[in-house]
Amino acid sequence: MLSSAATRRFLSALASRHRVATAAPSALRCFSTDAPPLPTPPRGPSEEQPREQKETSAGASPMRASEDDGSARRQRAGSRTTDGAGKYEEEQARVLRAALPHVVRMGWSESAMIAGARDAGVSPAIVGSIPRKEAALVEFFMDDCLQKLIDKVESGDELKDLILSNRLGKLIRIRLKMQAPYISKWPQALSIQAQPANLRTSFKQRAELVDEIWHAAGDSGSDMDWYVKRTVLGGIYSTTEVYMVTDHSLEFRDTWRFLDRCIKDAFDLQKTVQEAAYLAEAVGAGMGNTMQGFVNRILRR
Amino acid sequence: MALQRSRCKLANSLKFLLPRSASYLHSHATSFGFKEVREEEKSKLVGNVFSSVASNYDLMNDLMSIGLHRLWKDRLVTKLCPFPGMKHLDVAGGTGDIAFRVLEHIRSVSRRAMQDGLAETEEQTQIYICDINPNMLNIGKKRAIERGFAEDRYLHWVEGDAEALSFEDESMDGYTIGFGIRNVTHIEKALAEAYRVLKRGGRFLCLELSHVEYPVFKQLYDYYSFSVIPAVGELVAGDRESYQYLVESIRRFPNQDAFGRMIVDAGFQKVEYENLVGGVVAIHSGLKL
Repeated sequence: MLSSAATRRFLSALASRHRVATAAPSALRCFSTDAPPLPTPPRGPSEEQPREQKETSAGASPMRASEDDGSARRQRAGSRTTDGAGKYEEEQARVLRAALPHVVRMGWSESAMIAGARDAGVSPAIVGSIPRKEAALVEFFMDDCLQKLIDKVESGDELKDLILSNRLGKLIRIRLKMQAPYISKWPQALSIQAQPANLRTSFKQRAELVDEIWHAAGDSGSDMDWYVKRTVLGGIYSTTEVYMVTDHSLEFRDTWRFLDRCIKDAFDLQKTVQEAAYLAEAVGAGMGNTMQGFVNRILRR
Repeated sequence: MALQRSRCKLANSLKFLLPRSASYLHSHATSFGFKEVREEEKSKLVGNVFSSVASNYDLMNDLMSIGLHRLWKDRLVTKLCPFPGMKHLDVAGGTGDIAFRVLEHIRSVSRRAMQDGLAETEEQTQIYICDINPNMLNIGKKRAIERGFAEDRYLHWVEGDAEALSFEDESMDGYTIGFGIRNVTHIEKALAEAYRVLKRGGRFLCLELSHVEYPVFKQLYDYYSFSVIPAVGELVAGDRESYQYLVESIRRFPNQDAFGRMIVDAGFQKVEYENLVGGVVAIHSGLKL
């Protein structure tokens, strides 16, 4: 729906010379530093959707393992007591949480999950019932961090006095600091997330994260900019994340410097695009005038 | 001709089964193939079958499943995810097929996890192989020697009934039963026993010949099982009756969903099944919480 609107916009922009010049800066307008300090806007339509998806997929996952005859199984899932399914989810989360302290030593692996199950006082056989094992652990960690980030944003007021670029930097820093304890094993987590089978979920989780960061930074747009903004921020987040993996400086000082530079570049780029747009507009207007004069002269003759 | 006969047989059995779905599970308990027998007789009859086929058991399995049963068992063990230090019970596993796979899997895991500190728990691994039939257990013991597991302190051979296990409550991490639950007189009792011996978080896995639903494949499969298998049984093992019983008992076994419900009723959580080869075999799994 959004994209068709965007297409229409694009076509109409093509049609009128003046709007070609203004459409580009509007796509990047979000970066301007004079954004209002933390308004609390209603959430964009596309923000509620992923959250909902996450819940339904979590609810359906326990009965999802085999390929054929899915409908029959779904019926069965419905007929079973709902608290039973919830109990399983709870238990799985407990095991995964207990596995996290073992990750530093054993990596994002089945071994860590087995050790975690032992700590949680459940038979490690439960690990066999968790689909996509290591990926489930990484995804659990990602979800957990996102929740922590949301809690932190909601409880703290340290973001209030900052301008937009600093606010974004701060949020990314908070989030990346959460995976600092696991930094030695983080490349492994990235490789697990990049496996084709897990790509969908990891992409979704990143999209949710970036979305949450924009939301926390006080952004309320929901048109063409929405994609541009999220793509740009996703790029900044991911490159910083990768930079962090090879950063051996004290308390990741280099990473934070790199992050600030990235954000500054993005805002500069927006200014450059805006300037280029103005220039194009001016040139276009000039050309138009010349053209008009030329045609008029021909017609008059 | 043979195809028709098998169809007719199926139709009869369906007519018999359909109108009373509630008492159906119980009536299964007293069936021996398509014959109705008294409960106390079934275990004796099943015992006879397995005593008579024991010597050719492996060869016949390979012939009947074209060697596929090895892959099915591999899949079962993969789903189980054995780990070092596991207490595992394999019921009706007299030939040790599943138990050996579990043991090999644990060995490879602990080798891989040497640096993780899981390997030290390997010493606590215990795999119990329980079978009601001593003839089958003897095959397993013999094969353990052939495979070099004879000195193994992890394997324990136990003669016992799936409906009355001799193990303590909450003593096992895993419970598998491969091609066995069909021959048990009271499936409910066997499931209840499985639930009893498992620890919290322990898993129940059942590999069993099941029901094919795909139209053309179903007819082919029926023809194969009612015409080819008994003939092969007669030719190779010299025992047509036992293999006739085998294919009939498969048809009398509850289908995937019905059996899944029985597992749920036994108290297991997260019950799911996976069909292999379109439902010729199904792996059911459940979790005790």
